[in-house]
Amino acid sequence: MLAGAALLAPVTQAAALTDEALRLTTDPAQNEYRRIHVEVQHRSGPDTRSYQIWFASQPFDRVADAELHSTLVIGDTEGLNRTAPAFDTQDCWTAGQPVHRTKDDIPVLAPDILEWSCSLSGVMPGVDQWIAVLPVDADGRGLSPLLPIRARTDVPDQRPPPPDTLPITLTLASIVLSAIVLLLYLRRRDILSGRAQTSRAYLYLAPALIGLTALTFYPVAYGVWLAFTDADQSQLGEENWIGLGNFATVLLSPGIVRVTLFTLVWTLVNVTAHVALGLLLAYTLTQPGIRGRTLYRTILLLPWAIPGYISVLAWNGMLQPDGLINAILGTATDFTATPLAARISVILVNIWLGIPFMMMVLSGALQAISTEMFEAAELDGISGWNQFAYLTLPNLKGTLVPVSLLGFIWTFNTFNTIYLMTRGNPYVGFGEPGATDTLVTYVFSVAFDYGRYGVAAAWSVAVFLLLLAFSYLYVKRSGVMEVAR
Amino acid sequence: MAGNCFAAPMSHKAILFGALLLLAFSPLPADERPSLVTVEAWHTFGVDSLEERLFVEAVDRFMADNPDIRVDVVRIPFLQNIQQFINAAQAGEAPDLIRLSATELGKVGHVSVEGFPLLEDLRPHLTPMQKARYLRPALAGMSYGASLYALPASQSCMTLLYNRDVFDAAGYLYPNAEWQTEDFLRAATALTTDDVAGIALPVKWSYWFIPFIAAAGGTLFDADGHPALDSAGTAEAMQWVLDLERTHGVTGATNSIEAMSTRFQTGRAAMVIDGAWNWDRYAESGIPLGQSLLPYDGATGKRMAPMIDYFGWSVAKQSPVKAAAAKLALWLTSRAVQADFALGTYSLPTLVELIDDPTLTGHPVLGGFIEQAGFAMSVPATRASAMLFEQLDTALALTHDGTLTARAALRAADRELAKMLAW
Repeated sequence: MLAGAALLAPVTQAAALTDEALRLTTDPAQNEYRRIHVEVQHRSGPDTRSYQIWFASQPFDRVADAELHSTLVIGDTEGLNRTAPAFDTQDCWTAGQPVHRTKDDIPVLAPDILEWSCSLSGVMPGVDQWIAVLPVDADGRGLSPLLPIRARTDVPDQRPPPPDTLPITLTLASIVLSAIVLLLYLRRRDILSGRAQTSRAYLYLAPALIGLTALTFYPVAYGVWLAFTDADQSQLGEENWIGLGNFATVLLSPGIVRVTLFTLVWTLVNVTAHVALGLLLAYTLTQPGIRGRTLYRTILLLPWAIPGYISVLAWNGMLQPDGLINAILGTATDFTATPLAARISVILVNIWLGIPFMMMVLSGALQAISTEMFEAAELDGISGWNQFAYLTLPNLKGTLVPVSLLGFIWTFNTFNTIYLMTRGNPYVGFGEPGATDTLVTYVFSVAFDYGRYGVAAAWSVAVFLLLLAFSYLYVKRSGVMEVAR
Repeated sequence: MAGNCFAAPMSHKAILFGALLLLAFSPLPADERPSLVTVEAWHTFGVDSLEERLFVEAVDRFMADNPDIRVDVVRIPFLQNIQQFINAAQAGEAPDLIRLSATELGKVGHVSVEGFPLLEDLRPHLTPMQKARYLRPALAGMSYGASLYALPASQSCMTLLYNRDVFDAAGYLYPNAEWQTEDFLRAATALTTDDVAGIALPVKWSYWFIPFIAAAGGTLFDADGHPALDSAGTAEAMQWVLDLERTHGVTGATNSIEAMSTRFQTGRAAMVIDGAWNWDRYAESGIPLGQSLLPYDGATGKRMAPMIDYFGWSVAKQSPVKAAAAKLALWLTSRAVQADFALGTYSLPTLVELIDDPTLTGHPVLGGFIEQAGFAMSVPATRASAMLFEQLDTALALTHDGTLTARAALRAADRELAKMLAW
């Protein structure tokens, strides 16, 4: 800390006697980054009203060639305090104490002050500077010649160290190495078991596997690790292991049951509607005798062809009180104002977005079913509904089950629709997820609105485990793997 | 054949060697001279907007005056700048200069990477004379704790805008500085029809609620600058604002900012509380715009005080060229650049010498906003301030739907804020 005690310290660098009355010196030991420390000894005369500090990057003998750095006023200090405002620093001292300041933050020296020091901010580092102190009278006239001294600060800037990438590099290297070792082991096993012809296959597999492990497994593993730390936005790179603390926070979060239930409702309603309407449209469009089939398919594909965020923003506009929907209905309802209306709105928009994909996939699957079966059924007098229930659906199972599973996972993880339409709002409680928040949008909010990376990672792990369990049960119960085999 | 094949590569090697030698001893291109420093500046101005054009022109002038500094300008989406900045800083790739608002400073001020703040304290970079040129509230608004994290470049606040045609059609006198909140309500009620809202106001948005707080004698912060939402005045203001929609039905169905602007822009609102940033949008729609100070409360004698937000230029703590970046920040907040921005985009200046400049105070648009800024409410750049809006929004929503009373909602908001600050 700079202190007045150092006022008379020996001058160790460029210093000069300006005249008999004013002595200006500098002490490089007290310099800081972009600051030069100067010390002044002067007995102010009766005409001296203030001191002006001038500086320039070259020698000067008139103020026109220099820049005014600061001004210290000489006057009565009674009633003034010595505290600088928050956005300022105390730059000048006398007798070991900060100088007094006016309400407008102008430093004031009592007339009897003979010695004072200042830490001059705003000077360029590593460059010679010329500094002069000029006593001036009430009219701003200089009372002594300008005799600048040369000074410079070479104190380096303090910068954060570059991020330590060694742990990331080592982790990635060990992941890649593990993948290579795994491939070598499998190749050796094949050779030993007499399947030498497959050995090259591992070479072809290697780039994809290494890429996958590095780009997919590492972020996932990092996310899982974060879930056990206190990582948050305010202390990046300094996280500590806290065990299951974040999972406890997740389980005790207000609104956890509500947001989980809404996520399930959101997912089930969407997937059911996607599959049902997609299948209906696909089935209709594969029926013989439909004219303009290609045109219908093209039109029905539009929601999928347009970038999702544009569609969502368009719907958001249409659902506004001044939007198209209200204009058609002749109302002025805000469809995203109340929790129920907002939930219905986001679900309907997402259904609209998801139908084309299901329709296209199921159209392909329907066209792959042999027509001979249906011709035989016709001959046997089986009705259209029974044909659908007992021929079409069982033959679609191999497609329906994985597509529904994919749909479930995608819809569960949908972010754009809700974020762009409502941002999870309306609010329904303090510190709780919004009425239209799903687990995924809420995780985003926890991570990037609240900056709680560790807690958000714990939420993500919970979502991952939930989806993993669902997928396992769904695949096992549906028997789709048996169908596939 | 073999001899030919061998001879050819030899001559290629010689050519290659010669080329490498030439390259090694040739003068470096201007961009790679060691003395040239490059400052990467992130801004958030709209694509091809007037703001962006003025900014780029200012940067070009700076580079012309400082041939040893090159500035790389990067546009960042407004809503993503904080997160992108934090991510970049975490990766050690923060830009040298970034444009931030006071509210955003509150979000980023507490963030640290490896124990260092993300932003440079600019106090050592300025001389006292340079600092004295800025308005003191603007410097305070750009400070986080004891650190000055940005040089203020502009400020903004809202005022009362009105559609003269709607007032004329109803034979109603235009709003004026003597208006009280009761006059405001009377006019809004009188001018509301099936098609026209008296005052287009998104009542559940805290930013639009804040102006009413001061008029009712409420506060957002205690004497120490800590958030204190729960007060009788704030609760009263909340009730009054929500009643504009629920009881008086004068706001139209304008529950979003865009709906509010669209309604006023299409001539279906008599009044709107809005900022200078939308002036051109309304004027270009042919709305005969009028502007007035926000009214004051007859009972408290206090005028409605919109929130004032400051925008400034921050230097990243990681920047290896801080002196050059600070020099650019000084230029971007200089009189010349601020005057161009003020006259071009109606942003309010933050320099002492400009705030009373007759060219600006007498300007038909700027003058009104500068006058209103004199009654505006500054929000300190703190972490709590950054969190305050969501709590206030929640309180408004829960009071609006009748879940809680205004007072209970504000009390709960204070509790939640305290909880969040303890994280």
